[in-house]
Amino acid sequence: MNPSTPTENEVTRRGFFQLTMGWIAGSFAAAATAVATVRFLVPNVVFEPAQRFKAGAPGDYPDGSVTFLEDERVFLVRRGNTFRCLSAVCTHLGCTVNRSEKGYHCPCHGSTFNADGNVESGPAPRALTWFLVTLSKDNRLLVDKGESVASDKYLIL
Amino acid sequence: MKTPSPLGLWAWFAGTRVGRSIFRVGPPRSNLERSQAMVSSFLLHVQPAKVSRHSLRASYSLGLGLISLYLFFILTGTGVLLMFYYVPSTTQAYDRMKDLQFVVSAGLVVRNMHRWAAHLMVAFVMLHMCRVFYTGAYKQPREFNWLLGVGLFLTTLGLSFTGYLLPWDQLAFWAITVGSNIAGYAPVVGPGIKYLLLGGNTVGQEALTRFYALHVIVLPAVAGLMVAVHLFRVRKDGGLSRPDEPAEDAQSIPLGQLPTNKSYGLMELARGTTPQVGRDPDDEVFAWPHLIFRELLLFLLVVAFVLFLAVFWNAPLEELANPIHPPNPAKAPWYFLGLQELVSYSAFWGGVVVPALLVTALALLPYLDRRREGVGRWFARERRVANTVFSICLVIAIALTIVGTMFRGPNWGWVVPWRTPPAMTQEH
Ligand code: HEM
Ligand code: FES
Repeated sequence: MNPSTPTENEVTRRGFFQLTMGWIAGSFAAAATAVATVRFLVPNVVFEPAQRFKAGAPGDYPDGSVTFLEDERVFLVRRGNTFRCLSAVCTHLGCTVNRSEKGYHCPCHGSTFNADGNVESGPAPRALTWFLVTLSKDNRLLVDKGESVASDKYLIL
Repeated sequence: MKTPSPLGLWAWFAGTRVGRSIFRVGPPRSNLERSQAMVSSFLLHVQPAKVSRHSLRASYSLGLGLISLYLFFILTGTGVLLMFYYVPSTTQAYDRMKDLQFVVSAGLVVRNMHRWAAHLMVAFVMLHMCRVFYTGAYKQPREFNWLLGVGLFLTTLGLSFTGYLLPWDQLAFWAITVGSNIAGYAPVVGPGIKYLLLGGNTVGQEALTRFYALHVIVLPAVAGLMVAVHLFRVRKDGGLSRPDEPAEDAQSIPLGQLPTNKSYGLMELARGTTPQVGRDPDDEVFAWPHLIFRELLLFLLVVAFVLFLAVFWNAPLEELANPIHPPNPAKAPWYFLGLQELVSYSAFWGGVVVPALLVTALALLPYLDRRREGVGRWFARERRVANTVFSICLVIAIALTIVGTMFRGPNWGWVVPWRTPPAMTQEH
């Protein structure tokens, strides 16, 4: 028998090294696989409508109107020469809100919002989001759903 | 001439060369052959050759675990059939559902069976969990099997939830929109999980693709594996829990004293859970025919019941999904309506805190509640406190679910079910 053969409980330098390297290599492989898998599952490109879109000419919207743009799920609000754009996605669980007499109203769990999008009642935790409205070079309203603004920020023409 | 019975037919076939090569044994006539029938068949050998009378008693287990298992079989069978026609595409899925209903032969029945069996499975898994609780069957040595059970319960809900989106109708679209937004409320990780689950920001093609992959392969594979381990553990833990069962530490034998020449018996003896330990052999009967025939009968009953539902009631299919107009009210599947009722007060508390606490409590239960009194009996007096706490939670959950299902109408306002105009009610 080799005299340096360790007994069962003895820690040799080689054994310690092998075990440590084994743990490091094993954890590294496991972590790399986990990270790569999760990263693979997070899409880099989403096939969703663009966040910025043109909403037509300012003149398309009569003074005092609130227009629902179906495909974008927003309301375009014109008062005098000012233009604003309000998200129609309920901040509670993502249903589409409807207009009501005083403002907006969500059919799913009954949240109500005033004309400024602030919560009046119901489970919605936050006000509806206002989006940035600018004017494009060809004089069209340009809405950026990636950019939220305060409710008193207008595009003034 | 005598009409051949199935057993007679088997006896004849097992007598032929080919038959013997397949079955090895014919219909058993002696106790030895009864044991052989069990161990020589791949499908039967997962079960023990002998079982205790207590385990067979229908009034103990109510067969609820087996019923869940059979529903899982039915779902797998009908699900595979549905896959031959279904296309997971936002432009085609709905039309394919219509085809299944109106064009494909027996498509309607297959779809109905799949849908009703899915609802039933959620219900029976919950009932099975209640049975295990009220009989104290989660105690040592079955703690881990209870934990596996909690995993199975969540996987069952996941299967049902992912399947819900596939028809791509209004019900599907809005239930998943609401459901995934609830996930988005979880602190820190919520928005990330929602994005990962949907493969984007809203429910669309990416979400449908993901839910399809989860529904037809990932979750069934996970559930199938866990069921296999679950049943393996039922056997390794010495069959069903029973009152006169000795505690595990009282049973274990130091390893050194065991003969090492018989490895199979050794495994079971080493765990102290062979059917022989601590029990009177008179209390046992042969699995063939006592267990096998009961199982077969129960299976037939479950299939018959699902078929009965599927023939007389159609699974709902609403209008094509429309992201602009949510139905009023938008409801999640029934087993989430208790949560949705809570969510209508507060999405964070109802959607995140309460379910997380419940699941944690369920998972920790067998490690916290370790007293051995009252195991193997329904509603044992010794378990008064545990039973009361569980019952209170159960009653609250049922009450919330009933309120969410029947007493909530347009705008999530109160309605009285017997006065709702039929067009507004939405169930299933
Ligand atoms: C897919 C879902 C499930 C299936 C197919 C299933 C299947 C089974 C089967 C066939 C049995 C044998 C006894 C009986 O029929 O009652 C059993 C026992 C058991 N199950 Fe499940 N089960 C499932 C979910 C659960 C859940 C959700 C729990 C609890 C959280 C659970 C915990 C247990 C325990 C602890 C036992 C042993 C009971 C005893 O020894 O008395 N199972 N299961
Ligand atoms: S989604 Fe609007 S109130 Fe719940």
